Formats: sequence, structure tokens, C-alpha cells
Amino acid sequence: MSADQTILAARESSALTEGTIDLQALLRESDVQSVLDQLDRELIGLAPVKRRLREIAAFLLVSRARKQFGLEVSPPSLHMCFSGNPGTGKTTVATRMADILHRLGYVRKGHLVSVTRDDLVGQYIGHTAPKTKEILKRAMGGVLFIDEAYYLYRPENERDYGQEAIEILLQAMENHRDDFVVILAGYKDRMETFFRANAGMASRIAHHIEFPDYSEDELMQIAQLMLAQMNYRLDASGEQAMREYIERRVRRPNFANARSIRNALDRARLRQANRLFALPQAVDQVALSTLSAADLHASRVFQELDAVSHGETT
Amino acid sequence: MRLTQGAFSFLPDLTDEEIRLQVDYGLERGWAWAIEYTDDPHPRNTYWEMWGTPMFDLRDGAGVLHALNECRKACGRGYIRLCAFDSTRGVESIRMAFIVNRPDEEPGFGLDRQEGEGRNMRYRLHGYAADRSPEERYRADP
Amino acid sequence: MNDFATTTTADRPRGRYDAGVLKYREMGYWQPDYTPKDTDLICVFRITPQEGVDAIEAAAAVAGESSTATWTVVWTDRLTACDSYRAKAYQVDEVPNTGAGTATPQQYFAYVAYDLILFEAGSIANLTASIIGNVFSFKPLRACRLEDMRIPVAYVKTFPGPPTGIVVERERLNNYGRALLGATMKPKLGLSGRNYGRVVYEALKGGLDFTKDDENINSQAFMHWRDRFLYCTEAVNRAVASSGEVKGHYLNITAGTMEDMYERAEFAKQLGAPIVMIDLVIGYTAIQSISRWCRNNDMILHMHRAGHGTYTRQKNHGVSFRVIAKWLRLAGVDHLHAGTAVGKLEGDPMTVQGYYNVCRDAVTQQDLARGLFFEQDWADLAKVMPVASGGIHAGQMHQLLSLFGDDVILQFGGGTIGHPAGIQAGATANRVALEAMTKARNEGRDIDHEGPEILAAAARWCTPLKQALETWKDVSFNYTSTDTPDFVATATASA
Repeated sequence: MSADQTILAARESSALTEGTIDLQALLRESDVQSVLDQLDRELIGLAPVKRRLREIAAFLLVSRARKQFGLEVSPPSLHMCFSGNPGTGKTTVATRMADILHRLGYVRKGHLVSVTRDDLVGQYIGHTAPKTKEILKRAMGGVLFIDEAYYLYRPENERDYGQEAIEILLQAMENHRDDFVVILAGYKDRMETFFRANAGMASRIAHHIEFPDYSEDELMQIAQLMLAQMNYRLDASGEQAMREYIERRVRRPNFANARSIRNALDRARLRQANRLFALPQAVDQVALSTLSAADLHASRVFQELDAVSHGETT
Repeated sequence: MRLTQGAFSFLPDLTDEEIRLQVDYGLERGWAWAIEYTDDPHPRNTYWEMWGTPMFDLRDGAGVLHALNECRKACGRGYIRLCAFDSTRGVESIRMAFIVNRPDEEPGFGLDRQEGEGRNMRYRLHGYAADRSPEERYRADP
Repeated sequence: MNDFATTTTADRPRGRYDAGVLKYREMGYWQPDYTPKDTDLICVFRITPQEGVDAIEAAAAVAGESSTATWTVVWTDRLTACDSYRAKAYQVDEVPNTGAGTATPQQYFAYVAYDLILFEAGSIANLTASIIGNVFSFKPLRACRLEDMRIPVAYVKTFPGPPTGIVVERERLNNYGRALLGATMKPKLGLSGRNYGRVVYEALKGGLDFTKDDENINSQAFMHWRDRFLYCTEAVNRAVASSGEVKGHYLNITAGTMEDMYERAEFAKQLGAPIVMIDLVIGYTAIQSISRWCRNNDMILHMHRAGHGTYTRQKNHGVSFRVIAKWLRLAGVDHLHAGTAVGKLEGDPMTVQGYYNVCRDAVTQQDLARGLFFEQDWADLAKVMPVASGGIHAGQMHQLLSLFGDDVILQFGGGTIGHPAGIQAGATANRVALEAMTKARNEGRDIDHEGPEILAAAARWCTPLKQALETWKDVSFNYTSTDTPDFVATATASA
């Protein structure tokens, strides 16, 4: 019995008394609540995701309780699919999910190994199996997160080695259920196509979680949270500009939710630095940490739109 | 005879679960595990065959067990050992090694002597495994 | 304490070099403002001044007498860059728990810095002739002890160090991940070569890695050295064939002359022995010579610290063993007896751990609770395998493993040969105890507390271990150590 399992066994005995089991005690002892609380703090919005996470945590707790009474026939299947657009928090939630699974004793170490097709699929014959197996060995004890998993499957190329990776993966998902959990991630529609073409994979995914796009209000909160973490703030004009920026950005191509916000803020910080440098006088702490409208308005998002409207008027 | 190389040869053979705990001990210290196998465990046969390269960046022993079981399937009639490499400056060598598979019948070693001048003696140790015919030694496992 | 800051004399050369007698501290040997250079060798001495002798004058005298001074002023100093040759006492601290109100006269720690030019490269004989040459007989001191020494990297690099070192020794032995096991052959004296080889064979076949000659087994009437070498080699090779493991016997090549020692070493090499052994009493130059021979002949060098107790044990006078260990690492030995803490010979556990650190660290950290006064960078010098030997048995395995870890040789002489079911059974008991304890520790068990239980579990399937535990269950050597640390880790350590 490993040290982790020993700890869990000890926990179980304290919640278990005379034929009943205190689920709340079990929850407290596993300390899963603190992970969920952390998610609430660090992720804005995502209410449906958080709800699903709580449901899964509850399900896993109950499974453990059933196991103690000998009611559980086989361990629950834990492989999951996270679908949603880029920048909706899939990787962050996967990291927390690994933590939750670890605290509940479903994986031994609780680390996250994040990969894409290139990490699994080789370039020539005999290359793919060792590559995939090496990644699987690293993921054991934790969670294997495969981003844009549908790229593993390329039906248009019959000599594609992705199929080999999928088969090795499927075998490991079946034979090493106790050793690791797979989370597939990507756009919703493409994931659905992928599952239709790979019935074996679809049947092994027990939990599907959808990550919705953020509302404009949520994006504004995300911007403010990100800035606070970097010790920056928006002044009144900056806040107004940020709202306008978000309103325009979500309608433009390649919008990537929180990631787009982070990129915009990074660029705004650059412009702020240049603006401060051009000032003749010394700057104080407030100036150093304040972003204003000028730092945002220089964005292409505004300029191109202005150009269009300008063109319309003339 | 029972070959007693390695850290745990005087104990009953380790179960897979016990092996995994030892592997975890090494992983926690940042060591990389390697799997090696041979049919001729002469004490000076330093280089057993490598089953793949050492496994770097693993977090959990299950990965090593998985590879070990593949090696057992292919070379289960011979000796298999696990070695942990430590890249710390001033060590840069093996930190742990133990046998995880041995043949049903271990052939053992013979000792030959040749007397020299002044009661001097030359010793030659040879593994009986190496005395077997090539057909016997190199036949594929079933 | 008086203020002597103004009494250094470099700025008053006329008076300083007038004929006659000056106080040491007035001759430049006390420099409280001095900051030791990275290239300085630093010593800390524990001094007990005679009644009425001022501590600072005593410290300055130690610096003087261990470097350039003589009892009177000499004008010939003026022909030299004498300021750099003078050792400088730069700090004097009272030793805790000595002096008024204690049973011990007041002692002081005197810190002295020596310029690198004072020492010949690669010579322990020269180093020791300077530092401990005269000063320990100096009349104004009632007693004097060299507690620790910081050797500058620049000087460390002039020594080749251990000929083999822990890492290469393990590679040669093909032995990783557990402590090594040894046994000293008993009785020490009187066995014929043939009988002696029998004990070697039984112990190695039972599961030990090494057997060992005792310090005073050389070439006596009952067993000529060649006879011993031949029978031991036969025994070693038979045991290797029976186990498939690399094994060895430390052949003691100590003799009356270096010529005899080289002859014995050459014969050991001719027989294919992996290791030879010497006694500390042969002296530092002989040690360095044999170390060089071992380096040239791929031979592991085992050092028995015979005689050290005459000057290391008493706390007020002599040389601490941690300093001897440092010198021997420089001089170049591969194995060094460094104490057991739980066995029959002197050794407080923390102090003994300090010796082990000196042998095995890449950089030894300052650790007052373990008696280590200085950080010591070993400049990638190979590591010495410490040997725990003397009155230990299988029942203490958890304590030994917890104190010393894996890079150590545990030598059970009586604890092997005295086993009621025979020598092989004794060896097997030790080997099973070691492997079971190592395995349990790696599994995360708390061996300090669960040790006896782990041993008992192994004894249920290993009869020799069961018999060993039964035979020695009550044996322990709980005497107060004489050489204990002056500092404790925390104020609550005594609670």
C-alpha cells in the first residue's frame, strides 16, 4: 500500500461509523473544497463548468463511499473531454481537476502532462509507438491533457501515424485505469466529429464538460483580475476604453477569450511604458501602475474600425 | 544457485507493487530508471542489454512497471534489473540497482584455477550460461 | 577582555625588532581586525591557558609557535616579508560550559589564519609539522586541541585525494543502493593462514561484501603474510563464484618499511585483489605514498585509524578526529573508520555524523551541533567511504541506517563470527537485516520507530536473523562520550 493510499485508508476510517458514512466528513477530510474554492477565486464566470466539477467531485466521493461498503463493482471511468473555444480556461481547470483527482485518491501524484499531436505522433515508421509510450509513462500517476485532440485523426491521409497513437492511447486508457486519467480538449464541433469517427474513444470518455465563451462583463472582470495580479490598474478613461475594446474585439476573427484579453493588456503595458518615457517630468508610483485610454486606443481594433467608418462617410 | 547482485537479492522476490514503491523512491529523488537484461550475469559483465533508454521526467512508478512488463514478455527467461541514474554533480552514476526477474533455473558460475610459480594462483570465473549452445542462448522467447 | 587592537606593531618597526623578549600579541600574532582571505588556512584551537595567562596572549602564542615565532625577537625576520608568514590569531571566544561554576577550567576557542605560502603543496607531513608541530607542548598552555580546520580550495587542489572514491568503488563492485557489509576476522591473532581463509570464505559466502584483516595482522609467527594473502584470495574467489557478486578482503599491507609494504601491495595486485589496507600508525608520508601506488594500480585503499584514540578522544587536548578525517581525505584513502555511535567504541552520534559529513560531502556545511566550525569546499575531491566498525550487530540496523545512510560500510566482526549457527548464518542475518531495512526505508516506513518490528518481520522467514536478534537482543554500549559537541542545535534540545 502506498503512502497516499495509507492516508486515504486512515481518512476513510474516521468518516465511517457503525454502518453509516458521513459524506460531509469525507469531503472535509479530502480537502477538495479548497481546490473548488481556489477555482472560484481564480476563474471568472464559467458557472456551468464549476457546477459540473462539483457534480463530478460528488460522484467520486460517493463512489469511494460505496467502495467501502463493497457496493462498487468496478472503479468509475474518469477520462474526460473539455470542449470549448480557445482561452476559456480548459488548461487551468484540467490542472485543478488533476489536483481534485489526487486528493480523492484516484491518481497517485496529481501532476498534469499537457501535450499536442506533435508530442505523440512520429514522423516515420516505428517512431510513433515509442513517442506515445514515453508520454504515457510520464503521465502515469497524473493526468494526460491532450489539447486539440482531433488532430490525432487525419482521415484524409491514409498513411497518417495518428491512428497508431490513438490505438496505443485507447489500450492504455483501458489497461491502466488506475494509473492515469486522460482529458481530451478542443473546439466543440471538431471534438464531436472526432468522436463520431472514433467510436472506441467516444465510449471511453465518461465526462463531457463544455466551456462557454465569456460574456463581455466577464471579460472585463478578467482584465481587472489580470491587471491586479500584475499590480496595474485602469483609470476611468482606461476602463471605458477597455469596455469598448472588448465590445469590438469579440466580433473580430481569431477571438480567443481570456487569451485575447491577456495579449491586449500586454500590448497596452508596452504602450504605457513608451508614453511614460516620453514625459518630461519624473513619474510616481501611481503613473507607473496606471493604464489609460491612450494605451488602449492605439490598438488596431480601434484603428481599423475607424478606418472603415471613415471610408463609409466619404 | 541464487545470484545475489543488487540491493534486495537476499529478500523474497519483490512483487510488482513492492517494485513500484522502490521506483517511486528513486523518482522522488529525481533519478531516471533504466531497465537492463541479460542471460549472462557474470559479475564483470558490466553492460547488460538496455531495454530502451533511461526513462527521464517520470513522476510515478507505474510507467516503469509498464515498461518492465513489456521487457518481461520479451526476455522473461533471463535476468532483468532496474537501475536508477543520478545526474547530480559528483555522483553522475547509478544510485540504486536491483534484480526484478530471474530465470527459473539459475546456471551459476564455475571457478578454474591455474597454478603458477611461488604458489601463485590465477583464477578464472566463467558463467555456465555462456557454455550453452548459441541455439539455446539466443532462441526467442515463446 | 582587554583591548589589544592597538598593539599590532607593523607600524612601529624599530621597537618591534629591538633585541629581547616581546609578548606574542605585540609581535603581530594577534590581529583582531583581520579578515581571513579565501586562500588562508584557518584553524580553531581549544586552548586552556595556565593560571594567570591571558587568553589573547595564549591565542597569539599558538599562532606564533605554529608559524614563524620563536621565544625571542630575531633580527633575521627583517630579511623576510615576515608579515605574511606570521599566523594571525583573529578571534577568541569562551567555550560554553567551562570556567567558573563548572568542573572544567576556562577554555577558549582561538581562531588562527595561516597564509598559503606556509605550506608545501600536497604534503600532509608539512601541513601537520606546522600546525601541530610544537605548539601542543607549549608551557603557557595547560592543554590545547585542534578542533577544526578550513582548508582553502587552492590548497585542496594540490592533493590528488582518494585513489578510488565512493562512486568509482561502487561501479567497480557493481553494488548500488545499499550500505556495504564487512567483518573483521576474529580471533585477531593466532589463526593459521588456512584457518583464517576459512573464516573469510564463510563470511563472504554468507552474504558480506568484504572481510578485513585487523590492524595488527601483519606477518607474525603464526601466519606469514604471503600465506594469508593466498588463502584469502582462494576464499574470496570461491565466494564470488557462489554468489555472482564482486567481493573482497582488505589485505593489510602494513609493515616495518615502505619496501616491505610495496612488496605486499604488488603481491596483492598479482593475485587480483581489489583492495588493500593500511594502518594510520604508518604515518602521513607512508599513507600518501601508498595512496599514490593505489591510484596507479586501480586498488581501493582501506584505512584503519589505529592509534587515533591516543590524541583524538580527550576533549581538552589533542586533535579532533574531524581534522584527522580531513587530512586523510586529502592524503587519499578510500575507506576510513569513522565510528559507529551505537557500538563499543567512543563516539557521540552528532559528533560522529560530523566525521561522516567530512568524508562524504561535496561541500561540508558549518554545523556547530555536529562539531563542524567551518564550511569546507572539497573542490570535487573524491569522497571517502566511512566505515562503522566495533561492537555493532544486526539488531541495530535501523539505527545505523538512520544515522549513516547508504554510503557506509557496516562491519560486524563479532556480530558475524559469533553467530550461534555459524559464520555463514551470521553473515546472512546481517545481509537480510540490511536489505529488509533499506527496502522498508525506501517504501516510506519510519525506521527509527518501526525498526524492531521490521526486523522481527524479516526474522519470521529468516532463521539466522531470528537467532541473531535473540542472541544480541540486550547488547548496547550506553556510556557517556568524552568527545561531545559544545553547541546544541536548539535551546530545547535538552528537554
